[in-house]
Amino acid sequence: MDSPGSRKWRCRNCGFIYDEALGLPEAGIAPGTLFEDIPADWYCPDCGSEQDDFELVDY
Amino acid sequence: MTISEELARAIIDPKSYSRREIVDAAFAKIRAEQPLDQARLPDFDPFWVVSRHADIKEIERQPDIFHNGDMSTFLSPHDGVERVKALTGGEPNLIRSLVSVDGDEHKALRGVVFPHVTPRAIKPLEDQIRSIAGEFVDHMLSFEGECDFATDVAFLYPLRVIMTVLGVPQEDEPFMLKLTQELFNNADPELNRRRAELTPDEMLKSLWETTMELETYFAAVTEKFRAHPTGQINSLIANATINGEFLNHRQLMGYYIIAATAGHDTTSNTTAGAMWALAERPELLKAMQDNPDRINAFVEESIRWEVPVKHFMRSAVSDCAIGGQQIKAGDWLMLSYQSANRDEAVWADPFDFRIDRDQNPQIAFGYGVHVCLGQHLARMEMRILWEELFKRLKSVEMNGQGERTISNFVCGPKHVPIRFTVN
Repeated sequence: MDSPGSRKWRCRNCGFIYDEALGLPEAGIAPGTLFEDIPADWYCPDCGSEQDDFELVDY
Repeated sequence: MTISEELARAIIDPKSYSRREIVDAAFAKIRAEQPLDQARLPDFDPFWVVSRHADIKEIERQPDIFHNGDMSTFLSPHDGVERVKALTGGEPNLIRSLVSVDGDEHKALRGVVFPHVTPRAIKPLEDQIRSIAGEFVDHMLSFEGECDFATDVAFLYPLRVIMTVLGVPQEDEPFMLKLTQELFNNADPELNRRRAELTPDEMLKSLWETTMELETYFAAVTEKFRAHPTGQINSLIANATINGEFLNHRQLMGYYIIAATAGHDTTSNTTAGAMWALAERPELLKAMQDNPDRINAFVEESIRWEVPVKHFMRSAVSDCAIGGQQIKAGDWLMLSYQSANRDEAVWADPFDFRIDRDQNPQIAFGYGVHVCLGQHLARMEMRILWEELFKRLKSVEMNGQGERTISNFVCGPKHVPIRFTVN
């Protein structure tokens, strides 16, 4: 399993991947931002699901 | 190797879907023997049948490779597609909606409504929707022990919810229901525009007439909401701009039409299917009343069970490998959500309705960037209706034979006769 800072989180409802290493600069989330440090008002940009609908991707 | 004509006909014939066991049996065989293979039928362009959950997810997460709108978005015979192109000036889909556009256009169109239908955005609607649910529960109970749950409740409640959200007056609801049924149930003589068995030519003509009637209605909606904008969804659509310009005619009409039709018919089908499942399983109502915390599991299982959108088509824009098969640019693929939601590799006992599934990655809303825009609203309105109904129902059972719509696209139960008692 990847360590914090390089983990990937997948939205259960649409499959969107949040990659901690890349962040989401277009949403103001800098590369390296841990999933748990994403602002609480952020939601899945593809389907609107809340953060608790994301699961850690275990490749 | 290709899928046999008999099997291919079984999974595309609208009549098969009115007897779901036929489709389920055909797809079980396909999943076991040819889970991703081609169907070649003389009246259709060749198409791949994608039957597994994992393959559909993989395809839907690659929207740059698998397009919605380059070819027909739902399975249609070759001649039918050509006639549609003649009517639309070359586009393969009669209606240019969110499900038939790609790339930047899709992103821009989706962005018009998306921020208003996230879980957070719809949460303030909960009380209003609960009030609507209460009205329809009262309406059901007024039948004093017997009703057709499909026509008396399931068709009407989601219709009221979505029309309220869109900004359509209540007096127009019967019109919207009728035209929705005409649009999605063209092969069903009980529900289509002509109330008759139709030839493919007649079907297309009737679809075109329904579409034109909807466009006439929505032209007035545009005028109304541009003159007096509100926060309702139809107003957002009417006033939306892309690169500084209002949506073009086909984008505008496509948006209104998909929101006003798919926005309730899918939820209606799922709700009717859930009641059918309840009425056939005496222990299920009690289990839900004893375990109210399983309400979300019940809703999710209802969606998996009913799968109101049976399929969508995609076309490949470049060569790629999926599920061990080589897909070529230009290939057409049928994504069967009906099959994926019965995939034995994902669910134990996929042909059982179970509320004890802790993981239920049902794919009835699709996946990826085209995932259903209204999925959160649909879940919320179903949860609320069942919460209200479970409080009042003491028993429910079938009161005759249920009936399913003759359709291979957006469909479900059209009659669910039940007998019930109340607390």
